[in-house]
Amino acid sequence: MLHEKDMKPLNELTIIEANELLASGETTSKKITQACLDQIKGMNDMLNAFVEVYEKDALEAADKADSRRADGQVLGPLDGIPLAIKDNMMLQGKACTAGSKILFGHVAAYDSTIVRKLLDQGAVVLGRTNMDEFAMGSSTERSAYGPTKHPRDPERVPGGSSGGSAAAVLSNMCIAALGSDTGGSIRQPASLCGIVGLKPTYGRVSRYGLIAMASSLDQIGPMTKSVDDAALLLSMLQGQDPNDQTTSDEQPFVQSFQASLKGVRVGLPKQAWSAGLEDRVKENTKAAVELMREAGAEVKEIDLPYMDEGLAVYYLLMPCEVSANLARFDGMRYGLRKTSLPLFETYAQSRAEGFGAEAKRRVLLGAFALSSGYIDAYYLQAKKVQSLIRKAYEDAFNEVDLIVTPTTPTTAFKLGEKMEDPLAMYLEDVFTVSVNVAGLPAVSIPCETDGGMPVGFQLIAPWFKENTLLSAAKELENLIKQQN
Amino acid sequence: MKLSQEDVKHLADLARLDLSEPEAKKMAEEFGSILGYVERIQKVDTSKVEPFTMPVREDWRPDVAFESDEATRELILSNFPGRTGDLLQAPGVFENPKR
Repeated sequence: MLHEKDMKPLNELTIIEANELLASGETTSKKITQACLDQIKGMNDMLNAFVEVYEKDALEAADKADSRRADGQVLGPLDGIPLAIKDNMMLQGKACTAGSKILFGHVAAYDSTIVRKLLDQGAVVLGRTNMDEFAMGSSTERSAYGPTKHPRDPERVPGGSSGGSAAAVLSNMCIAALGSDTGGSIRQPASLCGIVGLKPTYGRVSRYGLIAMASSLDQIGPMTKSVDDAALLLSMLQGQDPNDQTTSDEQPFVQSFQASLKGVRVGLPKQAWSAGLEDRVKENTKAAVELMREAGAEVKEIDLPYMDEGLAVYYLLMPCEVSANLARFDGMRYGLRKTSLPLFETYAQSRAEGFGAEAKRRVLLGAFALSSGYIDAYYLQAKKVQSLIRKAYEDAFNEVDLIVTPTTPTTAFKLGEKMEDPLAMYLEDVFTVSVNVAGLPAVSIPCETDGGMPVGFQLIAPWFKENTLLSAAKELENLIKQQN
Repeated sequence: MKLSQEDVKHLADLARLDLSEPEAKKMAEEFGSILGYVERIQKVDTSKVEPFTMPVREDWRPDVAFESDEATRELILSNFPGRTGDLLQAPGVFENPKR
């Protein structure tokens, strides 16, 4: 196994493989980091995955990691590993703009908790990746920095909003990356790009220092080349944080894998599997289900009521929280300010110029749904249906251990294809959003076996059962690889 | 639910967001389509359902003030679009009342 890895270009390694080679002395963090930087230099002009690369800082950090290793002071499994962070995660002293013009020039005043954890573990941060503005989008086309392209077909989108991170991982510009997921923004680009994308249970990972989109739905998670890497990153990122009161005091996630899928009860919600799916998606995800069945899983159809309403609930709750969270971008303390105007106009014109069309749409939608006379029928009703959705999942998890769906109804679509009709873009998220509404953990793994456009398979587990989730995902990942 | 251009302009006022006439018109159309979709939740019987709320926490940390370190402080100040010394410069609140 080590022999095979020796021949792989260093930027194509997984975290676990990189650690083996670093431990054995066969390579250095400097060499791995340089390989990633070279790949970025070669491909980023075309793909636009990174909006900023920290070349000097990264090489310095890699040197320090190598020194620590030489002194026998390795900090942990992330020491010296080059990673990418999304443009909405604060890293003190670096620009952080959430893909938006309204934050051009804004420099992070402090470290987000998760970046702090990465740095304390000695990870090498390569740079910040492109995203849909304020995480609003499923294609990374709505970025103030221009779109990110799909590494396998630059006329197609990588998905979004963590499209930059997904493209960076797929094209081996980094060993792994972080993304954020509010309605599918880790899982959908992972699906379109054929990588692993994990959204932890709400409350597993601190949101302190993540530019907020919808505070009750946002979660940070790993985007990786393997399930093992995702599990490793989760174990390093998780934890209660006094700076984020929504972090949980549940037992921490500790990776321990089951030997097989034998006897695991798997539910196929009929609402997901009878939906309009692209043929390629249907074929490959159904094949993955068969693999689970052959491996001994008890697969059965289940009824997941209110799944049809999940998207509607999401596209009401989320804009309401967005309209509150984006109120702070007013031209006062940071970012873009239109000058020489009275106060009201300063607010109104700074926001008009700084926000893109989708951000404006959602701010106004939220304002509507929260406004007097409408709040009961829209926001409050959505909160009630949210209770029903959560109960539906609770009931389902009494019958099954895991729920599986295609991650997205389509493979990667063409740039511009869904930009005319906002609703068409929203429908991309139909299988991912109800997971956020319920706060459950879910992972997307690639399931296509012909090397063509990637297809994502989503596994969903009960609250805080990332162990069940990732054990099954890893087993399925192995079975799919054996098919190739 | 259909929103008129006027409705949209009113929301834009509330949200402190300037919208041009063509933008407001387009937004009103898009809202028609989006609201048309999300309104399906109104068909769900929620007469016996409570709105979902996060569990209440009792483990509060002590309410103690602390100073920022110098680096953080300087970064916060350097982000000010208008700055005089350590003060944020902003348009006067009571000059030129709201239109």
